Amino acid sequence: MSADAHDHHDDHHHVLPWWKKYFFSTDHKTIGIQYGLAAGAFLLFGFFLMIVMRWSIAYPHEPLPGYLSWMFTDGWKARWLDDGKVTGETYNMFGAMHGTIMVFLGVVPLGFAAFGNYVTPLQIGAPDMAFPKLNMASFWVYLAGGLVMCASFFMESGAAKSGWTNYSPLAGYADKQIVNQFLAGQTQWLIGLVLLITSSLLGSVNFITTIIQLRAKGLTWMRLPFFVWAMLVTGFLLLLAFPPLEAAGIMQLMDRVAGSSFFMPSGLYSASSGAAMDLSGSGSPLLFQHLFWFLGHPEVYVLLLPAIACVAEIIPCNTRKPLWGYKPMVWAVIVLGFLSFIVWAHHMYLTGMGPVISTFFQTTTVLISVPSVILLTSMIISLWGGSIRFTMPMIWAAAFLPMFGIGGLTGLPLAFNLADLHLHDTYYVIGHFHYVVAPGILFGLFAGVYHWYPKMTGRFMDNFLGHLHFWPSLVCMNLLFFPMLTQGMAGFHRRWYNGGEGYIEKGAEGVNVFGLTVAEKISLNEIMTGAAIALAIFQLPFLVNMFISYFWGKKVTSDNPWEATTLEWATPTPPGHGNFTFDPAIYRGPYEYSRPDHDADFFPQWEEPKRDAPVEEPEVKPEKETTEA
Amino acid sequence: MEIPFIVNARKDTGLFNSKVGIWLFLASEVTLFGGLFSGYLFLRLYADYPWPERALPVLPGLINTFVLIGSSVTVVFAWAALKMREWRKFQIYMAITLACAGLFMVLKGIEYNAKFGHQAVRIQGGGPVQDNAIVEGHLHYAKLVDGEMVEVTKEEKEEMSDEDKEDVFTANKILVKASEFTFVLTRPSHEAYVKALLEQAGESKITLAEKYSVIDVEELNAGEMNRDQLTNSKAALVAGKGEELSIDLLDKLEDAYLDARSHDRKIRTQFLAASWDWVRNEKGEEEASTYIVEKDIWKERRSEDAEKLKVLTLRAPSEVTFKVDPPFTLVLDPSDLVKKVNVGDKDAKLRDDTLVSGEVLPSPMIMGVDALDFRTTALRAEAEGLDPLPVIEGTWLLTHKGHHDDHAEGEDDRNEFKKIWECHLEWLRARAEYLDEKSDRKGLEGADRLVPTDNDRYRVNWDQILAYQGLGYDLKKVYDESKAGTLKRTGLFDINGFAGANHKTPDTDNPDLHFPHLEIPRANVGFESSFTPKWNTYYAIYFTITGLHGLHVIGGALVLGYYLFFGRKMYESNPEWLANRVEVGGLFWHFVDLVWIFLFPILYLM
Repeated sequence: MSADAHDHHDDHHHVLPWWKKYFFSTDHKTIGIQYGLAAGAFLLFGFFLMIVMRWSIAYPHEPLPGYLSWMFTDGWKARWLDDGKVTGETYNMFGAMHGTIMVFLGVVPLGFAAFGNYVTPLQIGAPDMAFPKLNMASFWVYLAGGLVMCASFFMESGAAKSGWTNYSPLAGYADKQIVNQFLAGQTQWLIGLVLLITSSLLGSVNFITTIIQLRAKGLTWMRLPFFVWAMLVTGFLLLLAFPPLEAAGIMQLMDRVAGSSFFMPSGLYSASSGAAMDLSGSGSPLLFQHLFWFLGHPEVYVLLLPAIACVAEIIPCNTRKPLWGYKPMVWAVIVLGFLSFIVWAHHMYLTGMGPVISTFFQTTTVLISVPSVILLTSMIISLWGGSIRFTMPMIWAAAFLPMFGIGGLTGLPLAFNLADLHLHDTYYVIGHFHYVVAPGILFGLFAGVYHWYPKMTGRFMDNFLGHLHFWPSLVCMNLLFFPMLTQGMAGFHRRWYNGGEGYIEKGAEGVNVFGLTVAEKISLNEIMTGAAIALAIFQLPFLVNMFISYFWGKKVTSDNPWEATTLEWATPTPPGHGNFTFDPAIYRGPYEYSRPDHDADFFPQWEEPKRDAPVEEPEVKPEKETTEA
Repeated sequence: MEIPFIVNARKDTGLFNSKVGIWLFLASEVTLFGGLFSGYLFLRLYADYPWPERALPVLPGLINTFVLIGSSVTVVFAWAALKMREWRKFQIYMAITLACAGLFMVLKGIEYNAKFGHQAVRIQGGGPVQDNAIVEGHLHYAKLVDGEMVEVTKEEKEEMSDEDKEDVFTANKILVKASEFTFVLTRPSHEAYVKALLEQAGESKITLAEKYSVIDVEELNAGEMNRDQLTNSKAALVAGKGEELSIDLLDKLEDAYLDARSHDRKIRTQFLAASWDWVRNEKGEEEASTYIVEKDIWKERRSEDAEKLKVLTLRAPSEVTFKVDPPFTLVLDPSDLVKKVNVGDKDAKLRDDTLVSGEVLPSPMIMGVDALDFRTTALRAEAEGLDPLPVIEGTWLLTHKGHHDDHAEGEDDRNEFKKIWECHLEWLRARAEYLDEKSDRKGLEGADRLVPTDNDRYRVNWDQILAYQGLGYDLKKVYDESKAGTLKRTGLFDINGFAGANHKTPDTDNPDLHFPHLEIPRANVGFESSFTPKWNTYYAIYFTITGLHGLHVIGGALVLGYYLFFGRKMYESNPEWLANRVEVGGLFWHFVDLVWIFLFPILYLM
């Protein structure tokens, strides 16, 4: 059937040259896959940077082993490694770029742009995005931004080294020895950032417009799959939160290339030149932090919501019962979106904003845990009483729930000003948000890959390789991130490139307070580094699986292999240009599983009601009278 | 495949796609400019210097405001004309819109240009507040005569041939009598500097001080020669003593050094890795602890390694020195130096760590002054609990002996700025009396009394300078004319005020008027810049926010221009679609106008 439908659908395919079909395509599905592949490549690169950093933490005096250094040229090694050892400077560079790549080039494009692009128009019954050309532009601008940022690894200055948060005045002054400032890594980071923001602006306008305008007949707001709701809210977060960072980026760019002092306070003194800096001063470093975190916090939800969106689709499908609390979840996600704009300064408790402002942000931060808990609890309760099919996507989705739970709960102490004074900038923070992002969000996205792969390719991914990917990943993730929480409480600072060695040397003499606690926990570093390397190895089954399943995987026998209810499964497999072979109309809510009045245990949204059953008409609002037309 | 709702509105939302899109886009723009506006607030509230109020000429901004408002109206007319299918009218209205955009950008350009050419200096000196007097004006020019700096007036420069003009530089440079350059070979980015200094070298020869050789790896591995022989062998030579500096030569040296460094690092890495293997295999876990590497046994092994490495590595020098014969005077931009230098210093370091050895020559800053500003001095003095007036009287500017000053009157050893200041105090006295008498708050005390602003008190503007000068710095005349209100100053609509102070004296009636000449010794130049983002955070936010707004104007005009010049085809095939596009473009245009309506008051009026 699928082949038939495909052929039938091909009739308005003008023959496109291959480069238009696969590269400069305006088809949302191709663009989604492009985003997915590019983001995946960036994720692997960011992961690699992290392993080099973890090597330096566990073995600061030992040269990088061959399996981590073979891709560097001798010249590069001579510049950035000290007799093969990672230097502090290189560690800073990798650290800054690890964060940047993972957040801006990896997870957001994978979750929002790749899954959003592929699935959203299908789920709402649209032939494509509202602005297909903008969609293509969005991808290419993103790729250009990413490449500009990463190209600086090969320049004299190296890539940006001032942390992924790029705080001024350090970021305003770093790399000043480079004569042409446009060729400095720190400047390229800003140029890349401006490109990425442009890309996400184009993307979010497109997503929101598509969801508002191109819903199929009968697809009212409360019949939207939760996935679409999450994408809508994510779109608004990107639309409204990113531009202030763009403003900050432009100002910092001016600081770097035009010599202004937006973020440079008066009286700055450079230790390297031993003189006052040639600046007007009177700028405000705090302003940069405010503008950064005004994006930075909503960005957390931009990372998170697509993963929750995937899991919320997979759970009802594999438990064969409706999503528990669909409406509260929709309201929760909207409230979450609003609240995420007024919590940003909890990243800045230590800047001395003053107790009043801290109290305000502490309150809003605790408030935002309410919608988050509604989302997570609803999904957990959804499992109750279900006849769970432990398919590959479901296993990942099931692991997402407790892992994200740990990530979320460890965040609570950080919300409180008093506790945060102790934990700020320690490994506790790193452990907390990595639990959210790595075993949380990434597991959710892996679930999504296994779930929609059959729709994209017409073949299932291999189960054995899937298990070989899942179980070791779960163990390694916990071995890697749980020790961070304990180390953090012992005072391990997040930016020690040698794992805290400086503190144990004189610890025994009691010269510094950290000495003993650090000595107690420092041996965990080796376990964590081992876990990181093992984690990398166990991603190989996934890569192999993606590749071989495309050619040799088990073929799907129907267009709806998971027997799901949402509209993307009504398309041919894989969907052709224009998506649908019929004019889709929607008759019911998104998760009608195991309805007692229906024979099959799923009742797809698009299936017309049977004649003898009580007829439920598509809910179409009466047409407005129009003066035009 | 066709996307629905491109031309016609969706029934339940009542909108066509691009209208939803543009409103979302504008929402995003609001937060972008919101970020910049909050930046403005932050910077202004926490400024630690007197924020420039009404520092820009109001007239061009005012004209621009009306120009943009007008264009917002015509763009609506253009859209309405399309809706009524009147192509000709559409063309006319859209053309007016674009003309307005052009006029706006031209005025903006004039304003920007005036700022780029206008100089400011914060003077650094002694006293309780380190001086901090600010002088504004236009830089004069200079050229080198026998390696010394000689001033060139603007008139002289204009009369020069084009070739001679190339040797003239603005009088804010730093002059170094260069006898030696030392380049750091790990910084391959210095091409721009090398080019500049080769151009300036003229007759002087810049030659390699010592030969540069890197031991040949093959000869080293053959092991037949000792280290001296290896270094002196033919294969080792990269460049001989006396080779002339060129970019190619430096590239060659850099390549040789970087190759040698790669080789050395590689060997050292191998040794370190081997030592770790050794300590792991031979000494067991305890000794091989990751973090403690200063154990005796480990030290011994490492010192053995070091001995072996002395033989096996190439150890090429990372710096290379060139001699200059005869020494010549190098003209450097102050921003190219890592830190400030003083006259007589023996060396100056460039930003990429290139060392220029020799002697820093007297390099004063020379300018025609068109404003004195003591507000920062006063602010600092008040912060110290001092009376600002005596502090101002003691600043370098008012006390220095200017050698260009005419002392024809014999005993009058006041410099011209002192005279200006004294006149200003007279004007201020008249101003204070005027405010006291003419206002309805006459006779009130304390806060209720109308008094001159800080701007009145501590800043002497260009029109005041010229007015005082026109009266021959006669204190009595200044007071009388000020009192009578006949002192010649510019107003809002005075054409001379259009682009701020101009280098030419604006008063054509009196050709003798001139902006006072000032020569500031290098040691007294605290912070200098033209009126660009560098000068202070006000100009930083002004240029950034209006620049970004200007880009929006250009972008909007390009899109609207596309509809005007290439819209005919679409008009014929699908006029409603074109109308939609113009509507969307017009919405953007209104937003651009709205931004300006906020910008104008906060940057020009407040």
